[in-house]
Amino acid sequence: MKNIEREDLYLLIRHSDIGEEEVEKVLRENSYPDKKAWETFVKLMLITLGVGFSVSGIIFFFAYNWASLHKFVKIGLTEAVLISTVSCVFFIKNSIVKNILLTFASVLVGVLYAVFGQIYQTGANAYDFFLAWTVFITLWVAISNFAPLWLFYLVLLNITLILYIQQVAQDLSEVSILSLLFAMNAIALFFFTGLAKYRLEISVPKWFLQIVALAAITYATLGFCMGLYGRYTIVFPLLIVFILLFYALSIKQSLATKNLFYLAAIPFSLIVMGSALLIKISDAEMMFFFVSIFIIGSVTGVVINLLRYQKKWSNEQ
Amino acid sequence: MSNSTNINQLLAYLQSVMQKPLIVDEEAIAKAYQKSREKQSLAIKVLSIFGGILASLAFLGFLMMTGLYDSKVGLTLFGFVFIAGVLLTSKAYDKIIIDTFNVSFFIIGLTMIGFGLEKLRMSDESLSIIFFFIALISLSIVRNYILSFIAVLLAGGSILALIISSNSDNLVNAYVASMAILMSYFILNEAKLIVQSKTTSKLYEPVRIGLVFSFLFGLIILGKRDLLPLSKDFIWLSGTVVVCIIVYTLANVVEVLHIHERKQKLYVYVISILVLIPTLLAPAVSGALLILLLCFLVNYKTGFAIGVISLIYFIGQYYYDLHFTLLTKSILLFSSGMLFVVLYLLLHRKLTNDEKI
Repeated sequence: MKNIEREDLYLLIRHSDIGEEEVEKVLRENSYPDKKAWETFVKLMLITLGVGFSVSGIIFFFAYNWASLHKFVKIGLTEAVLISTVSCVFFIKNSIVKNILLTFASVLVGVLYAVFGQIYQTGANAYDFFLAWTVFITLWVAISNFAPLWLFYLVLLNITLILYIQQVAQDLSEVSILSLLFAMNAIALFFFTGLAKYRLEISVPKWFLQIVALAAITYATLGFCMGLYGRYTIVFPLLIVFILLFYALSIKQSLATKNLFYLAAIPFSLIVMGSALLIKISDAEMMFFFVSIFIIGSVTGVVINLLRYQKKWSNEQ
Repeated sequence: MSNSTNINQLLAYLQSVMQKPLIVDEEAIAKAYQKSREKQSLAIKVLSIFGGILASLAFLGFLMMTGLYDSKVGLTLFGFVFIAGVLLTSKAYDKIIIDTFNVSFFIIGLTMIGFGLEKLRMSDESLSIIFFFIALISLSIVRNYILSFIAVLLAGGSILALIISSNSDNLVNAYVASMAILMSYFILNEAKLIVQSKTTSKLYEPVRIGLVFSFLFGLIILGKRDLLPLSKDFIWLSGTVVVCIIVYTLANVVEVLHIHERKQKLYVYVISILVLIPTLLAPAVSGALLILLLCFLVNYKTGFAIGVISLIYFIGQYYYDLHFTLLTKSILLFSSGMLFVVLYLLLHRKLTNDEKI
């Protein structure tokens, strides 16, 4: 019998005379990973550590800034490593190993630009460095069907945008910056949710969608709080409209896919926003008391709601 | 979460596993099952904890603004009253919906006791000991998931605070070593602990995750250089204990992998020990590896994710802090990378050959 829920097993154990040996057997045969799972785990761990350490070794080598190396050799060496890593992808059958190699090749593109930046003194944190890095791995990201590489790509996009704002668009208000970051991650979330829904051959893991959603929700919450306490700009009301739209769509999606995550994260974000609004209205001592009651009450309300959905969905199973 | 059909299937399955007829208290199961339908998903647990922290911050803000902080005895007394109230409420009415309330008042109570006793000029050492006992008492009273988890964190945190406040920084090694043993014992003896008593079965999961985090706190102190002035002479102590536990855990892995030949077993142990030896002086790296291995062994996903993230962080931190030139670091990293790739290729060939046979 596969897929035993640990909590159900614990519950039955508490009310029966089942012994340690039998429980051990049940756990070993049904819950713990078998030989095949261990083999896959050890193989994946070795290849990830192997490629990870080797690529880090290469990065450190170039960071060492070996003065005696000619710039042609420096760039040539990095490109040689990059080309050989990508070439390996064509000869390997295992798709996970292929994707791991492609992910490290994407990191190597960054190393290549870093070496370039080092030789021509463009600076390591120039936004165009990250922009080029992002642009030139886009094709691999698109064909990879590999969530860790997508996540890496999104991190690069976020860094590029933040550096661009810091270095070029310096007069943007904090609300505008956070709104842009929110919009970018929200669009990414919709894109990948759509992909999961309409392109079934592409596997979009739940954890990936939840990390992207968490980023979007965090930027939205911070943006709202900054807008509330900072200088007023026209972006703020627009942000509120988009946040409400995004939250409504996410809740709808959450109910359709029976996913508790959005039903917990979005109300929590609204509670933080509500508390910020209350303290903005009055920062008298009694307001703080009221806010703590408000948080306890509303979080409890959200938990009751989550339990209700959980019960409903488990009955429908 | 499963429905009642699954519970019945599971019951039938357990019956088939047992050699003798299974004695079951069906009425109690039905009752407990009804109650357990309020199972806490990770989302609810995280929400209750963060909600509790946020509410306690607002309440402490209120206390500070009203000047109630000035009354030393009042603060301490109310702190204890809050803690006692939370423990009694949780004992009498163990429902998930009051978790946020409990978490916030537990934190508020602790903070009030902390501030109150400090104003009463109590030393940090004594304060840590008091907090440790509050944690132990709480753990012996409550059966609630989140409160037991927080109590384990508090116990671990107060031992660390005691070590730091008494300037015995090197004892962190002893802390990490004992936490490694305790955590491994808990994870490796799941069956034994959950059948022992109803209490151990209820506390098993929150204590396990609490121990993983408490162990991790110790690793962070050891892994992040300059956080504490630790002497290099003692660091191998915790490293050795952790490496020994990893080797002990490997015996379980060898069994699952059906490796019975002496020669093959020897290869596994020798290669693992050779790879692990450099981590003797980096217990944070081997500690994260231990979390990863143990949690994979028992299919504990949350712990496994914590292991992966901490392993990446500690390896990065280790190389960042290493006082070698970048060239030496590069050679070290590249050669270890190649070693892992070679091991991968060897394993791949071995497994492919086995499949052909």
